[in-house]
Amino acid sequence: MDSSRWVFHKKALTLILALIAISPIFGVLLADIVGYHEPLDVAAEALNLPDLTELINWTPFLDYTIPGLPAEVGYIIAGFIGVLIIFGLGVLLSRMVRRT
Amino acid sequence: MHIPDGFLDPAVIILTYAMLAVYGFFAFKRIKNSLNTENTPLVSVLSASIFAAQMLNWPLPGGTSLHFVGGALAGIMLGPWLGFLTIFIVLVVQCLVFHDGGITALGANSLNMAIIDVLVGYAIYQFTVKTFKAKDFPRIVAAFLGGWLGITLAGIACGLEIGYSQTFPYGVSITVPIMAGWHAALGVIEGIITALTVAYLRKRAPHIMFMER
Repeated sequence: MDSSRWVFHKKALTLILALIAISPIFGVLLADIVGYHEPLDVAAEALNLPDLTELINWTPFLDYTIPGLPAEVGYIIAGFIGVLIIFGLGVLLSRMVRRT
Repeated sequence: MHIPDGFLDPAVIILTYAMLAVYGFFAFKRIKNSLNTENTPLVSVLSASIFAAQMLNWPLPGGTSLHFVGGALAGIMLGPWLGFLTIFIVLVVQCLVFHDGGITALGANSLNMAIIDVLVGYAIYQFTVKTFKAKDFPRIVAAFLGGWLGITLAGIACGLEIGYSQTFPYGVSITVPIMAGWHAALGVIEGIITALTVAYLRKRAPHIMFMER
């Protein structure tokens, strides 16, 4: 990888880390203070639609939470988990490309 | 924008999954030939950046929120096929790992954000690039329009999917104008972020704007 690409990837990684670090402010703290939700969740609540998300759930990380951890810390760790999985998929893709 | 489980009828679920399967089939055929050691890392870096950006929910009056979607940006940077892959990776991780967006709605969410939003951003930007050649300002305006119109049309598609589902008590005559209106208004912010990002990348990292090569 040449130096300009490396510098770009380093900057992108810094941006990702910064976004995840501040994400609980917008994803947890302000949501609790102001009381806002995703628009479709608001619609579902207003129309009394059943919330199937919690009834049919397959993940311990529902809504970017980590069991046993405070919501703010869990949100950050969930962000890292998501990013690591995406990078893992990227590594798999890269290996496939190199093989072909 | 992420439709949860319980909103869509089986017919809409099947139709949107079928559309995803057909588009995905052609996309992966094209991607197979275009993926290389240069653009593959960019797909995962852009996916991770968009995933992180989508975790920031901005409060809006009325108790709701919005977040950056990034489909048009992915289309402008990587084109319709790799742009699709970039956003599809984000949606699959959000759905399967965090249950953000329903598994029954993965077809619809992919259609809205990974296909429509990406295609609109790509088409508007490419049309402008071909029309105005090397001029900078029209490209920035095109990036704004791509971001704005991409999210607006994705919102309309979302309104159609929900409105045609009997599970949702309101029909398309209500869901489409509401979704279109909200997303046209909120899309201005998506457009501004898309335009600023494209302006920055064209200046500081033009080598990663693959569709401009």
